[in-house]
Amino acid sequence: MTSAGQTFLFDGMAIPFASNETIAMALDRAGIRTFGSGQGSSAGRYFCGIGACQACIVSVDGTRMEACLTPARKGLQVARIASVLP
Amino acid sequence: MTGMEVLVIGGGPAGVSAALEMARGGLNVTLCEQGPRLGGAIHRQPDDPARRLRVPRAQRRRWRTLAEALSMSPVEILCRHMFAGVEGSGAVLLEDRASGRIVTRRPAALVLALGGVERVTPVPGWQLPGVVTVGGLQVMMKSTGRAPEGDILIAGSGPLLLAVAAQLTALGKAPVAVLERSTGPLSLRAVAGLIRAPAYLWEAAGYLSRLIRAGIRLQRGASVRSIAPAGNRLSVTIVDNIGLERRLVVDRVALHDGLLPNGNGTAAAPAGPFTVLAGDCREVLGGVAAIADGRLAGQAVLAKLGLAGSDSAGSAATLQHERRTQSALNTLFDYSGGDAAQLPDDTVICRCEGRTLGQLRALLAADDRVSAREIKLNGRFAMGACQGRFCAEWVAAYVASQRDGQPPQVAEIVGSRWPVKPVSVSAFVERHPSSPSE
Repeated sequence: MTSAGQTFLFDGMAIPFASNETIAMALDRAGIRTFGSGQGSSAGRYFCGIGACQACIVSVDGTRMEACLTPARKGLQVARIASVLP
Repeated sequence: MTGMEVLVIGGGPAGVSAALEMARGGLNVTLCEQGPRLGGAIHRQPDDPARRLRVPRAQRRRWRTLAEALSMSPVEILCRHMFAGVEGSGAVLLEDRASGRIVTRRPAALVLALGGVERVTPVPGWQLPGVVTVGGLQVMMKSTGRAPEGDILIAGSGPLLLAVAAQLTALGKAPVAVLERSTGPLSLRAVAGLIRAPAYLWEAAGYLSRLIRAGIRLQRGASVRSIAPAGNRLSVTIVDNIGLERRLVVDRVALHDGLLPNGNGTAAAPAGPFTVLAGDCREVLGGVAAIADGRLAGQAVLAKLGLAGSDSAGSAATLQHERRTQSALNTLFDYSGGDAAQLPDDTVICRCEGRTLGQLRALLAADDRVSAREIKLNGRFAMGACQGRFCAEWVAAYVASQRDGQPPQVAEIVGSRWPVKPVSVSAFVERHPSSPSE
């Protein structure tokens, strides 16, 4: 199902998405591979796709969630999470 | 109905099968799934029902049978509910992702069907964006019904490499290369084991013929030595079976070295409910076995609660058959990864916090013999957000290879505290409407 103008915001940028699509899939299709600065040399990114590796954590309306498990919804405010040094 | 409540975690074949068995036995069943839809990794349902990845017919039928039975059963289904663990008083904690709140349940029994996780052995650069697991790549295809953009390299070891390469090819996007680390010859034992499982041979033959038709060669004995950023792409150094290096520039690298049980959160909680593990989180035997194992888990719960279940002989036989097939299949592959001695010090081992092999080597070089717990607490390996799912097994094997004596146990490195996954503190806080004076 192609969406007519459904978008969510990723760091303020409008990202289009299809019905039932996760945030991770929509970001990938928009050409975005780095989801945050992560820790150490490990940037936020899609990896396992099943919520196990926690690498794709983003802030979704202020709460940290796996982009690969979270359905995109119109008007969601998604943001990269700033680097945390251990 | 006995009214007794039981809880199943995981909406894949093992979890659904366990839920159905217990519902048939008269229990009040709730089935929790972390994602937005049921199916698990193997039966992942597409975002758009009109865009469905083709899978073997028998596999599609197995899920349809489970899904139809479930739709006619009284099982309560909670999607987007994450299993957070069993806390000290024995309550099961679930995080409801839609409301952002913790839900507490006190079931008479708990079935954990958490599935497997992929093993990926570390190479320099495996932490870069664009590097995914082969299963992660397959999730993209199953969800969207499309091949991901860009040039894709598939490497590691295992039957999943072939399956995903063939699925990409079927979507018109053949991988630029498929590197299978194993050089092992086909042993008589493997042949004998596989002949008993013609469905697997048939499936493999389908994948191979598709790859052959597309001109894709499976390069045996070849592996990825390192990955480095190259502008927006990835420059991959490949080493072949006679040690020759070459470089390929691609957009994505998909890695996979077999499957491991997803053990996080499965340790017995002293005050917790009667708990049974089912499917790949108990033993990695694949989708057919998961259905049988779920049934057995359901029967174990029914027996424990004094209720009658169906006959277990058929399920036990299925499990035994799949165990023989999987062990024959596993002899064809090499899941151990490359030689760790050749990995440079700056190789990231802990993907969550960027802890390196050099830091692990320094930890092991210290005068005091480091304990399994100290590997985590001092070394910070398995300390990050994934809680060691992608480094603990490798770290344990590496430490064991470096010294004599009792090897460190993965479960001991990881520990068994809840939450199983990071949960926002706000999920535990009851927010009352603020009064005007605040």
